[in-house]
This record gives sequence, C-alpha cells and structure tokens, in this order.
Amino acid sequence: MKRLENWFENHEPKGRWSWLGSTYEAFHTFAFTPKTVTTSGCHVRDAVDLKRAMITVVIALIPAMLFGMWNIGYQSLHAGFWQNFWFGFIRMLPMIAVSYIVGLVIEFTFAQIRHHQVNEGYLVTGFLIPMIVPVTTPLWQLAIAVAFAVIIGKEVFGGTGMNFMNPALVARAFLFFAYPTRMSGDNVWIANDLWGTDGVVGATPLAELAAGMKPSASALDMFIGTIPGSTCETSVVAILIGAAILLVTGIASWRIMLSVIIGGGLMGLVFNQLPTANCQLSTYFEIPFYYHYLMGGFMFGAVFMATDPVTAAQTNIGKWIYGLLIGIFAVMLRVINPAYPEGMMLSILLMNCFAPLIDHCVVALNIRRRKRR
Amino acid sequence: MSDVITIRKGLDIPIDGVAAQHVIDKLDIRLYAVKPTDFVGLTPKLLVAEGDAIKVGDALFCDKNDERIRFTSPVGGMVKAVVRGEKRKILEVVVEADGKIETSEYFGFSENSEDLKNIMLQCGLWTMLRQRPFGTVANPDDEPKAIFVSAFSSAPLAPDYDFVMQGRKEFFKKGLEALTKLTKGKVHVCFGHETLGGVMRDIEQLPTANCQLPTHYVKGPHPAGNIGTQIAHIDPINKGDVVWTMNIQDVAVLGELVSTGVYNPEKIIAVAGPNVANPQYYKVRAGACIKDFGFKENSRIISGNVLSGNKIESDGFIGAYDDLVSAIPEGDYYDFMGWLMPGVKKFSFSRTFLSGFLPKLLRWKFDTNTHGDVRPLVFTGYFEKVFPFDIYPTQLIKACVIGDIELMENLGIYEVEPEDFALCEFIDVSKTDIQAIVREALEKLRKEGV
Repeated sequence: MKRLENWFENHEPKGRWSWLGSTYEAFHTFAFTPKTVTTSGCHVRDAVDLKRAMITVVIALIPAMLFGMWNIGYQSLHAGFWQNFWFGFIRMLPMIAVSYIVGLVIEFTFAQIRHHQVNEGYLVTGFLIPMIVPVTTPLWQLAIAVAFAVIIGKEVFGGTGMNFMNPALVARAFLFFAYPTRMSGDNVWIANDLWGTDGVVGATPLAELAAGMKPSASALDMFIGTIPGSTCETSVVAILIGAAILLVTGIASWRIMLSVIIGGGLMGLVFNQLPTANCQLSTYFEIPFYYHYLMGGFMFGAVFMATDPVTAAQTNIGKWIYGLLIGIFAVMLRVINPAYPEGMMLSILLMNCFAPLIDHCVVALNIRRRKRR
Repeated sequence: MSDVITIRKGLDIPIDGVAAQHVIDKLDIRLYAVKPTDFVGLTPKLLVAEGDAIKVGDALFCDKNDERIRFTSPVGGMVKAVVRGEKRKILEVVVEADGKIETSEYFGFSENSEDLKNIMLQCGLWTMLRQRPFGTVANPDDEPKAIFVSAFSSAPLAPDYDFVMQGRKEFFKKGLEALTKLTKGKVHVCFGHETLGGVMRDIEQLPTANCQLPTHYVKGPHPAGNIGTQIAHIDPINKGDVVWTMNIQDVAVLGELVSTGVYNPEKIIAVAGPNVANPQYYKVRAGACIKDFGFKENSRIISGNVLSGNKIESDGFIGAYDDLVSAIPEGDYYDFMGWLMPGVKKFSFSRTFLSGFLPKLLRWKFDTNTHGDVRPLVFTGYFEKVFPFDIYPTQLIKACVIGDIELMENLGIYEVEPEDFALCEFIDVSKTDIQAIVREALEKLRKEGV
C-alpha cells in the first residue's frame, strides 16, 4: 500500500502534463481517501463523502441487477439457475461496459476541460441506464443515449448537482422517442440468443393491459419478477431489498418513496371507482390498485429514480407533493394514455421539471410566515 | 416560571477524552493574550506599547469605531509583545504577568443602568456581551429586545456547567440580576433538561431581588445548548431586532463585579479530547497560555469545541469567549479505498459505514481528516435533519453563496450565526466550508449596514 501511496505522490502531473490534473485526482482519490485536513470551521468531519454515498446506491441496486440477469436468462431459456444467470450475465455485461465507458469518457473529458474534479455521480447513472432498457437494445443506440444523457442531461448544466433532470431517465427517454420500435411493443423484452438484438414475442403486463387484456402473469409472479420487462426493473422483491438499504443508510428520502407509492395507489383507487362499462380501457380501470406497484417500472422508479437528491424537490414538504404527483401522474398516464404504456419515466421527468417550482412555493410560505411574525 | 423546550433535530458527537471532574488551579500561568481576531468585525486601535506596565482591567486596545469599547488585560504585569500578521494586522497582544496578586476595584454601582454600563465598559467586561445578529461585541447604545444566557452546553467535549459553576451560584444570580438592568425586555436563562434537580436547579431557587427571570429547560441533542437554537425557539430574531448574549461564566464574573467591586476574570476551562494526556478542568484567567496542558504530538489544538472553535498553536492562548480547549489528532494520512471499506472505525451520521450499527454509547477518536474531497452540493434534505430552526438551511446556504441579500433576509439570516451551521458542515457529504460561507454572508450584510 505504501508503495502505491508513494507512486501516486511521485507521479502527480506537473509542467506540461499538469492539464491531466483532473484525471490524476480522479484515480488518486479512487485509490485513497485523500489526506486533506480541515482548515477552518468544523475541525472534524463525518466519514461519509460523495463516493461513499454513491457506492451505497450502487450496492442497493445490486439485488435488482442480479435478479435481472437471472430473469433475462429465465425469459429466454427457462433453463437451470446457473444457465439462466450466465445467459443474462453475458447479455448485461456489454451493456454495462458501454454505459460506463461512454459515460466516463465524456465525464473525464468535461472535467478535464473545465479543470474540475471528476464527479462520482456517474457511478450510479452508469449502473442505472442498462437496468432500465429492454435487453435487446442495440449497443450503439445505448451508446448514443448515454452520450445524450450525460451531455444534454447533465454536463451542459454544469455537471452532477446542477442538472434538473435525472440523467438515467433522460437516456431512457431519448431511446424511447428516438427508437420507439426498440423500446416498446411485444418483441423487445426477451432476447432470442446470446448476442443478437432480435427479440422473442413476449408481452409485458402493461402492454397486455393497454391492449385491453388482463395480465397473463399472476400477482405473485409480478412481485417476484419472473415477467418480461426492462432488464432489471421487474422484481419488486429485489427492489424492496435495495429500498431497505437506501433507507437504513439514510441515503434516500423515505418521504419520496412513500409518497410516490401513496400517490400511485390513490390514483389506482380513483380509477377503480370510475364507471367504465363497455369502455376499451375497462380492464385497466378495474385492476386492483396494487397491480400498479407490481407492473413495469413503478417500484424501480419510486425507489431509485424519484429519490435522486439532485432532481427531486429539496424541501421536506416539497418532497411529499413531488412524490404524490409522480405516483398520480404515473398511473394516470398508464391507464388513460395507451400511447405510453409506461407512465413512470415521463411522470418522474415531468415532476423533475416542476420540483424547483414546488420548492419555491414551500420556501415562499416560510418567508411569509417569517414576515408576519 | 419555566418551560421545557424539546429539540428533536441534531446530533451529539461522541468524541473520546471527556474532561474528568477535577479542577487544577492554574492561576500562576505567566503569559496571557487578548486577541482582536476573537471579536467579529473589530478594527482595533492599540493603546499600549511593548514594555508598558499595566494592571488588571487596563485597556490594551479599543474599538476604533467606538472607543468606549475597551479590551483589557486579565492580569497585571507588562506588555510583552504585540504580534502582527499580514498588513500589520494585530493578531495578539501578549501580557506577561508579574505574579503579584492584585485586583482592580470598581465602585459607584447604583440602580442606574448607565453606571453599570460605564463600569462594564471600563473594566472590559462589556466585550463579553455579544449581539445577534452578526456576533459582534454589543453596541452600548442599542436597546436589546432580550438577553440570553445558556446555562449548559451540548457541544462535543463541552464543560459541564453544573460542575464548573459550583461555588459561584450566588455570583451567577447577581450577574443575571445586573443583566436585567441592561434591557427593557427579558433575560432568558436556558438550563439543560438533565440538570433538573442538579446544582443548576438551585440557581432558580435562589431568591430574586426585584426581577423575574424566565427560565427554560431544553432537552435534546446538540445544538440544544447553542444560544442560537434557544433564541430561535424562545424569541426569534426578526430584521431590525437586536438580542444580546453572554456566556455563563462571564455572567458570574459580572456578578462578582457588581457585588464586590472586584473585576476578576477567572474561569474554569475544560481541556479535553483524545490528544490530551489528562483531560480535566483548569482554573485560569481569561486569555491564558495553554502551553502546559499536556497535548500529544501532532495534535490539532482548538480553542472552543471541535465544531466551531478556532485552531491555535500548542503555545497559543485560549480565546476570549471560550471555556474549552480541545485537542484531536491531525488526520494527514491516506486511507486505501476508504470509500469502499466497511468502516468499523469511522463515525458517520449516515449509516453508510458498519460503524452506524454499533452501540450509540461508544466514544470515538476523531481526527481532522476531511474523509473526502470537496464536491458540488449533491445531497439534499440532509442538513434539515440536524438543523433545529424554522429555516431552510440548503436554500439559505445557497442564498449566501450567491450573495443575494434580500433572499438571505427573507430566509432568516439574522437568526443564525456560523456555529449554528456547524453540524450541517460536519455531516456534509460534499465537504463544503459552510460556516465560512455564512460568516462571509453575515459580514457582507453587516458592512452594507442593512
């Protein structure tokens, strides 16, 4: 360890290499938490830093990732456990690699140009993007989406912490609108073979409902996650394990998670009450409200996407409003807009745009209270 | 007349090395210093030269903008040095005691508040009265809406006033009575909830001459003992309001002054922390040199608590408002993959390290390592968990960064001092120097005279 320490100390870029400072800093702080000491103010600091916070989110994502790998294989092969897992692993690996390589190259380039430190935010974004796309997404499309998300979704606003939309969802939205045939329909969710981008027919519960049918999978199947869908979003069990990690460590806001769930459930109940006789969407209106939690990306969005601290509302009251509206709009879009089978992505992106307004109103109330005092 | 205020948001920082309840008399220390830098926004005008002989209570320098405000020597002796920094800024006026025990006496107290003011100004005790907003020395011409005294401290390693004030309860009470003459409003005293029935309880029981002192009991984690938290819960500061505060031991000094006429700036300080050989209490005079208190090698020595105190050298002097000297190890080491390891030995408010699952009673050996690099503000909703004010901390900090005066005022900047943000700074994932940001913003407001 001492040798590596010395190596870093001796190889700090100087002179004509000094422009590589950001890259050096990124690798150095990756290997070692720096030896910087406090100078003013608080002389002691909490052990948590942005790297730790971000890696905690990645750890919380791992159950969903592992289940997703297995499910990819299960949907295609219906074979033994390890065979399924191996198949999914091989399918996922290139997607993860493309996401990280493309994203990090752009991040490093921007940091280097701006002489900023490389921010850890992409650790999570890069992990999230392959988890929320169909398994048959061509890698080149994924690469373009990642580039779009990082540049337009984040870097143009100044990098992690300055963006107003969740970059991972921006990537998915880009794919959704640029290559709609690869992002919806019935034959993108199950891989045909180990390498290609061809899909096997297999409808998601959301697609079945949008077509006026009852979901063919049982509620238990949907809860466990053995259904077609985006790579790692199907298993509510795995997502709940992740949610538990995020809540216990205090990284994500329980207010947002809870309010998204309440909002979605409320909207589901409202649809249950509406008269729907002979309407084409009557099945969708009538499904029990908790089906909305089990289908599509609702739980994944509630736990990992809506809680993004940068793009969510920042005040505690604001978080309740923000989460409730995400849940309400997600279910509303699903049920009464058949053009978008999954409402969660658009609902979160919409509320990302409104989060600053919500905060503004909440803060304005505080200001008014202070003035009246 | 008392009520209980419960603070729910906050964090007690469990640092190892709490001072043992044992007082060593250190009134024989030879070097003392008064540091203009302890006083916010002060431009000093030097009144002595090196080599001048002085007595207790003789002025060393005064405020250039208000020459009535005099900063005086805590001992009799000789001016040993005037230490200057960049641009000849005065950093310290060092006095060497001559060892003779002598006191200066002041008489002429009456019911008149002007007399009290004048004597406090003359002997220098006035400078122990601070005003909020801005944290400067109180302006004698102001009419404060209230005066606050915190009779307990919740800061890490803070002295136990229940112990420290033993034997000085009468003086404390007299001091409080004297303070009531300085305001038409109330003098609020806040006790720790744990001291209910303790020594401090007796103070409330002491007969009051002719004044009513509202007492409050505050319970909860740090910053429950911070005066700012108490003001915000009892009588928050609005724009244009002025509130004065005084530390508990200085109130006792005031009590001694009004009852005996003697200005005797003694206090009991705690010397504590993991890098102190024998953490215990010392009886010293204000501004004493801390050289002989037994600090270990490679220590960060802090006058005040580890959250908002000032760094001093190992032969430096205790700050004017401080009654605690903390010493912790410097943290200039690398930590291999520190962001990935389980982290059993790392204290964190978040539970992202295994340490978060250990029993709460453990005490930790903190050091000055920042545990990470500075990053943009990413995590939100975090400060709110340790900030017990009716204020949005994230929004206020951002307003301070961009320097928007109207927004800062609207968001409640007048209610806070940098130390109120110390816990936010401590838990901040992005390692921002929040207290410095708030201090800078307050100074900007003060200079613009808003």
